[in-house]
Amino acid sequence: MSRLEAKKPPLFISEPLARDAVSQSLSVLSGILKSSYGPAGRLKQLHNGVGGCVCTTSQSSALLGHLSVSQPVLRVLTASVRNHVSRFSDCGLFTAILCCGFIENFRSLNVAPFTVIKISRHLLSLCLDHLKSEACGCRVSVDFSSVETLACLVRSILTSKPACMLNKTEVDHLTSLVLRAFIFTVPCHVETNAVLGKCVIIPVKGSRVMDSAVFPGLLIETPEIQLGKPLAVKRTGSNMIRIALFSVSMSGDGFNPEEGTVAVHHGISLEVSELNQLLSVGKQLVKDEVGLVVCQKVMHPSLKQYLKENSVLAVDRAGLSVMEPLGRMTGSQSIASIHSLSPGCYGTLKDLCIQSFASKHFLHLIPEDTVFCSLILCNRSETAWDELKRVCETAEHVLQLTVKEPLALLGGGCTETHLASYIRYKSSSLPASTFKDLDCSQTQYQLVAEGFCRSLESVARSLSHDGEEILTDMVYGHSWFVPSGSPCVSKWSDLVSKCGCGVNDNTEDLSWRFLQGQSGSPVIQGCPKELSPKVADLLTLDCFAAKCSGLQVALETANLILDLSYIIEDQN
Amino acid sequence: MAFKDVNARRHIGLQQLSSLASTGRTFLGPVKSHKFVVDEITNQSSLICSAVRLIESLDLTSAAGQLLNETIQAQNKEFNTGMSTLLFLVGAWSNAVVECLQQNIPVPAIVSMMSEGLNSCCERIQCLQIPIPDVKRELCSSRVRPKAFGSKTGQVGRDGLTNPWNLLCFQRDISATEEVIPINSCSHQGEDCNFNECLVSPSAGFGSVASVVKAVGDKSPSVLSGSGVTASSCITRKLTHSRHFSTPRKSCFPSQQGSFQGHPSGPSADLCGCCGLGHLATALSHGNQTSLKLVQSIAAHQQERAECRDSSQMDIAEIVTCCVLGLPESYSCVSPGFVTLVSPEQATVIKHLAGKTLRVLLMDGDLTEQYRHLGFNRPRNVRTILEHPSPQGGRAGDTWLSRMSDILMSFEVNLVLVKGNVCENFMGRCIASRILVIGRVARDVLRAFGAATGAQAVTYLSQLNASCVGNGAWAELWKAGDGRAVDLGELVPARISAGGIALLTAVLTTALPSKAQLLQDQFWTLLHRLHHALKDGKVFPGGGAVELLCLSHIQALAEQPGPPGNGEAVRKLPSPWAAEYKSIVLQALASGWKQYLSVLLCNTARASSELEAGASVDQHLQKAAACGSASAYILEEFRRGGVLRSGSDPVPDQVTDLKVCDNVGAKTEAWRRALDLVLLVLQTDAEIITGPRRSQILNSPVSSEFMFL
Repeated sequence: MSRLEAKKPPLFISEPLARDAVSQSLSVLSGILKSSYGPAGRLKQLHNGVGGCVCTTSQSSALLGHLSVSQPVLRVLTASVRNHVSRFSDCGLFTAILCCGFIENFRSLNVAPFTVIKISRHLLSLCLDHLKSEACGCRVSVDFSSVETLACLVRSILTSKPACMLNKTEVDHLTSLVLRAFIFTVPCHVETNAVLGKCVIIPVKGSRVMDSAVFPGLLIETPEIQLGKPLAVKRTGSNMIRIALFSVSMSGDGFNPEEGTVAVHHGISLEVSELNQLLSVGKQLVKDEVGLVVCQKVMHPSLKQYLKENSVLAVDRAGLSVMEPLGRMTGSQSIASIHSLSPGCYGTLKDLCIQSFASKHFLHLIPEDTVFCSLILCNRSETAWDELKRVCETAEHVLQLTVKEPLALLGGGCTETHLASYIRYKSSSLPASTFKDLDCSQTQYQLVAEGFCRSLESVARSLSHDGEEILTDMVYGHSWFVPSGSPCVSKWSDLVSKCGCGVNDNTEDLSWRFLQGQSGSPVIQGCPKELSPKVADLLTLDCFAAKCSGLQVALETANLILDLSYIIEDQN
Repeated sequence: MAFKDVNARRHIGLQQLSSLASTGRTFLGPVKSHKFVVDEITNQSSLICSAVRLIESLDLTSAAGQLLNETIQAQNKEFNTGMSTLLFLVGAWSNAVVECLQQNIPVPAIVSMMSEGLNSCCERIQCLQIPIPDVKRELCSSRVRPKAFGSKTGQVGRDGLTNPWNLLCFQRDISATEEVIPINSCSHQGEDCNFNECLVSPSAGFGSVASVVKAVGDKSPSVLSGSGVTASSCITRKLTHSRHFSTPRKSCFPSQQGSFQGHPSGPSADLCGCCGLGHLATALSHGNQTSLKLVQSIAAHQQERAECRDSSQMDIAEIVTCCVLGLPESYSCVSPGFVTLVSPEQATVIKHLAGKTLRVLLMDGDLTEQYRHLGFNRPRNVRTILEHPSPQGGRAGDTWLSRMSDILMSFEVNLVLVKGNVCENFMGRCIASRILVIGRVARDVLRAFGAATGAQAVTYLSQLNASCVGNGAWAELWKAGDGRAVDLGELVPARISAGGIALLTAVLTTALPSKAQLLQDQFWTLLHRLHHALKDGKVFPGGGAVELLCLSHIQALAEQPGPPGNGEAVRKLPSPWAAEYKSIVLQALASGWKQYLSVLLCNTARASSELEAGASVDQHLQKAAACGSASAYILEEFRRGGVLRSGSDPVPDQVTDLKVCDNVGAKTEAWRRALDLVLLVLQTDAEIITGPRRSQILNSPVSSEFMFL
């Protein structure tokens, strides 16, 4: 007898942000994210508590990916940050911290959410217009004819995550490798539609970072390869190597249908018939003068033996990650069935050789002209390698974004403080018609603008983890750090040496003042000056596209969360 | 998901590292005290003597513990040496960093100054590197001072008998204090008495009594009780071949003279004459005689083969070990080919095959009916229909057995080496038809036989064709050095070889089953040291020379004005703080090496307390500073017989085989890994437990430390 249970009514939670549990969770999350931010950020150990592997990280993608959040409000936040990271790779922590700051600052205002949202959108458009204008003082244009700005961009990303455990020489080495890898992915002959290639990262864990290297073409790990023997590969008439690429498993178990039962008579072996099918494919390959067969999955040992006897090189277990680049690089189509082989699906390669790193051996596939490369990435420990891999992928992605929009923003908190001082200046000089359009009073506008600026400044403040005081200057609006416990001195210039991004130093008097605390009254200031930064060696730069998107995502998400009036939870 | 703050008051992660590392202090240096690890639930115990085995047997559920394990395993995988150094420095540097934190030095300053300090030291010590071609000259150069010791000879002779192995320290449950129980007392032995192996009955129960049985030598008394000798008396003994502190001696272990084809003490003339590797191996062995002889013999074999090739490298892939229990350690030797333990039935087949040239087949999977290659998914939905059951058709398995043995017969195969398991029934059939089948053979062995016989490994017997079968192998029962066949238990050692095979087996014999793992570990360690020394092309002078130079270099650095290097964090610090922090942080870095040297001096009984040891290190530092060039002083001291000798020690008159060397790469990598781990944990401020264990954490006593999202 079955029993029906009445459905429970859904649970309504009104004004979720006013609840203690929500605001407490929000402040814990914001604490985790703020403490991880920047090159001096503290690391988090993520593990399952029962002996699973430990992930040591300060990266938003790893942090948010591992957190299992139960509060719906936090889920909205983490989901939109993760979505931003999946599109831009960079500025995840910036987005999340800024969003938390917006929620915190706007919630305490005594202004209706509807008005806050309208005003803050206006402020956002002011910011974005400023960032996109030529007069913006916190951006630099990236010159692709020299490597310096690009190197600064990559170096800033590599040094922003301390869990990579890199020293200065190692950072320099990796910077040049990442740049070289990126340059390999840019096509030499550009037609109307230029498509960037791809850099495949190959793990060699346990070795020195300095052993990392980059190669044009692709490397496939082949544990069985015999070292010392010269590679004898069959070549076609035009001295090229013909390659066949299989994405289907060739292990000989392909007779496994999805459902239902197959009945066979005693004495008939499906295995044998499947193997015969594989061997006939092998015969066809030999006949077609194929020199190299790569299979994503497993190959039957008999087929490998047959190919080897006919001097065809066979590599199996290549894995999914190389399939797409391999197909594009060699011009071959991956074969998804062993029942039909069309001669048009083969590709070509110029050469093959063997490379060895640490105890691993790789087959190096060298094409005629390529936009694909392999980055052999080494780091001493597993946890540091994982972090380094994520960082290198970010750097590669940021370079691609920068090609589209050759701009970069000053890092080290300078963009945030600069924008804050620009907004403060701008909001005090708006025409009355603006307030009318926004349907708000000037006071309301000023309050929201102040909250907006504080949220921006709180991001810059999150860069300080050891009690450093943060200053800003009244001329350029950059951020400056003073170590904790500094004695009282008459001149600020004795305490500060360089600003956060490294553009300014303490030689001229820039009239420093403390970055505002929560209770300080706003100081009326002029428009921050534009300066033409000369690209120095150790400039800290951020990705332009990622930061602009982060700014928008943070504000939109914060507005969405502030606008929440009910949470309806299904209890069934 | 739960979130826990690590930095409550003192850094918990660093404390965990330091307490884990403190268990490995006694593994530092050439005199390693053994430990017993006892599992309190199963009551099983194991004898260990290395950092790797220690870490393997500890409970490491904490995040810091896991990272430590990962670090040690990575060093082990790459170098097979330097793990004790790594473990010790992790502990020493964790403590030092905690002290920096208590003095309110910002974390980024500690991180950048420490890592740049280490970098600078690694560059500085490059001047001490000895290129391999110079090693022999460097090791043989001795400042002869005639008649250095007279009255001490008796003492020294006695010391010469003290093998590190004879000191067995048993430790219950790691945390308990160590109890040192020497299993033989050397104090009554004359210089020329013949010492054989100490046989300790494995069932005696090490923890309780350790009743000790010494095999009867020529003249020596037979049984000694372990309790008769106090711990202190054995600690004051000095070591020969110590990596760190050498004492001169006149004779080698007499028992080993006999068993190693009459090699005189030290490397034999022919060994060091032909290849020069003899000296290098001795210097790298750090006093481990058993492994040294094996590795020297391997070096000689490989060198002989290399005459035709032109490499001076050691090929580790061509070496395997085989442990034979029940024979004294002196029977250990190196045999060309593949030595393995076989069942008596297989042994009878080998006797039949004696003198024959065998046709060999290599299989890289299991030899069973059910086995399929990796990646083959068994179909679940196939049903076989039998329409006409035939009365005479036996079981299905029988047809497979006869089909397979028919294949072997038709290709006239006599020897099958299988990587995986072998079906028992099939094994029986093969024995009946006098085919020798050996299972669980390492991949390297298969490869070596493939290269020597021309055989090509197959996965299934059905793949077999004439070109896969190799020719020219032979099999015999392995005989010990004195020619007697070994028939000690159920398993019999057999030797399988082929013409021109490069494979060498180090046969490690021991009477103590609990020592088998130790012996293997030590052998591989020395082999890898030699391999890496040749690969690096250079070695460091050992005995604390490198650490001493680091100490003196850091002193100089700390006094230098200006921040070290131009690290990001340091660059932004105004100079007055930078200078103050720099001296504290660099002292913290130096304290790691200083503790390292002090503990070495204590472990090798060169100093009675760490305080005394520290004073002695300081004295050497002053001498080095007074000399002007620290590196010149250290090299000079090394040539005179070793750094860190105390003034009262006689200068040895024959220092050739006393000098010790260390690996370059392994040592500096161990330092870097240790520091990286400490700095990684230092920069961590929170532990986040992922996964759905909320209720478990809520109910645990530490739930107040967690926050939930």
